[in-house]
Amino acid sequence: MPIIEVANVRKDFMIAKRETGMMGALKSLIKREYIKKEAVKDISFSINEGEIVGYIGPNGAGKSTTIKMLTGILVPSSGDVLVNGIVPYENRQENAKSIGVVFGQRSQLWWDLPTIESFELLKEIYQVSNQRYKKNMDTFTDILGLDEFLNTPVRQLSLGQRMRADIAASLLHDPPILFLDEPTIGLDVVAKEKMRTFIKEINHERKITVILTTHDMEDIEKLCERMILIDHGMKVYDGEIAMIKERFGKIRTLIVDLEESPRSIQLLGGEVCKEEGNRYWIKFNRDEVSASELIAQITKTHSVKDLTVEEPAIESIISRIYQEGYQPLKA
Amino acid sequence: MPRFHVYWIFTKKAFLRSAVYRFDVWSRLGSNLIFLLMWGSIWTALYAGREEAGGISFQAMLTYIIVSQFLTGVNGAGTPLWEIQEKVRTGDIALELMRPFNIPLRYLFADFGSVAFYIVTALLPIYAMLFIFMDFTLPADVFTWVSFIAAAFIGFLIRYCIEMSFGLLSFFLVETGGIEDIFYFAMSLLSGSVIPLWFFPEWLAKVAAYLPFQGIYYIPNAIFIGEIAGGEILLSIGLQIFWLIICYFLLRLVWNRASHKVVVQGG
Repeated sequence: MPIIEVANVRKDFMIAKRETGMMGALKSLIKREYIKKEAVKDISFSINEGEIVGYIGPNGAGKSTTIKMLTGILVPSSGDVLVNGIVPYENRQENAKSIGVVFGQRSQLWWDLPTIESFELLKEIYQVSNQRYKKNMDTFTDILGLDEFLNTPVRQLSLGQRMRADIAASLLHDPPILFLDEPTIGLDVVAKEKMRTFIKEINHERKITVILTTHDMEDIEKLCERMILIDHGMKVYDGEIAMIKERFGKIRTLIVDLEESPRSIQLLGGEVCKEEGNRYWIKFNRDEVSASELIAQITKTHSVKDLTVEEPAIESIISRIYQEGYQPLKA
Repeated sequence: MPRFHVYWIFTKKAFLRSAVYRFDVWSRLGSNLIFLLMWGSIWTALYAGREEAGGISFQAMLTYIIVSQFLTGVNGAGTPLWEIQEKVRTGDIALELMRPFNIPLRYLFADFGSVAFYIVTALLPIYAMLFIFMDFTLPADVFTWVSFIAAAFIGFLIRYCIEMSFGLLSFFLVETGGIEDIFYFAMSLLSGSVIPLWFFPEWLAKVAAYLPFQGIYYIPNAIFIGEIAGGEILLSIGLQIFWLIICYFLLRLVWNRASHKVVVQGG
């Protein structure tokens, strides 16, 4: 059953046009012109209860704008948004009760209060019962190790601690939906791993639906089965990560170090896409030619010092889609 | 209907938070007293040994200044204008839109907490001492005391509505220096906080009489020293309530516009 439904949503912003020069400056004192910027052009998707979905896109693609529309902070210029049966912007306070939100870039905890007091404040704001509060705090303390800094003011927490506090805070009122906006940004490897384990666990145990925006492809690979890729305010891909890997994974790269640098390498089924000194990157399609055939071809005419075959990481697949666009497969 | 216990918790937390910033409390009190000394000296010099000027005794005038400085302390202990502007600029205030509470109300209740802390720990002890050890005019009866406290409280609310509204204007403006200047000018001069309205030239007194700022300092101060007395007290408080209602609707209007701007145009 879909818990989040987004249908043909568009969001335009009016941005004040900066006039150049003295005259422009004077003119803008009197009259200011606005430019319409389409942050989100036309996006539709629906997310089922209990899913973890990666919401991916380059900077300025419209990710945060979408999330803000789901939280009710922004009203879509057109289209429909439904979150847990509520139209977020029409009923912001009601919607607030069914979502938890974490922004990696800024804390929502009270900066100068000891962490525990922020939690107590949220307990009252969301009217969490004592029993529920205690149970949740116990669980979160257990998994996230909150006890090491509960009495420290938020401003003195390390980034890793702050993120742990923030995510725990966002879940105190048992929201069925969690929005995570770059939850691992700036964290070290260990802290990232902890964060991912926690997200996985709460999704698994509490059936919380998670929407995750991130630039860290490892987050996606470790957490999500489904990925929605957007660019320039449009949806470019929506589906399983395994599938996109399967499709783009066919193109692999053979990297060879040769003894000498030949004028050109002619290969059947392979194509040199990059060269650097004596090192060559050869792209090939796994379905058309096997790596060993390709290697055999090369060793016939050149002496090879070293070679590796590279499978594309999801990261490079995505950067390719950003650059070239995604052509949907024909059914 | 707002659930007041939700807001009450903000009062409690703000009270506790103030305790963390002890240095802030003491430095604020220090500067408050320096200003008190300054205005006291200026008025002593202006009276130049006379017993009274413009029908106001020297003693009453000094009391006016002391009460005024006390209220300045009270009004200054809440969220200051620049902090509201900062919250708008960083988007913190807009982010609170996704919490289940009313935002201007939440800041008001938080201010109650910080102000209460400041009054109890700093202002009240110091100013009580001034009144105990020196000879100033005290309200003659309980009614005047109660009226003064009510007027001071209403004044606080008027100031809050105006300051918050001015702060929220940052949503619409790139630069806010001008707004600040207007606010502080009105707050110090038109409110009668340092010069009572009866010393104003006629035209300025008229201007001030048609503005809400007099309700913040002049009315409670004048009630305290007995310059506003008897039936005039109720009339003045009525005037304050009138301005409070207007300022409340002003704040509501600005806030609705501001939050509307966020949700429609993006922060």
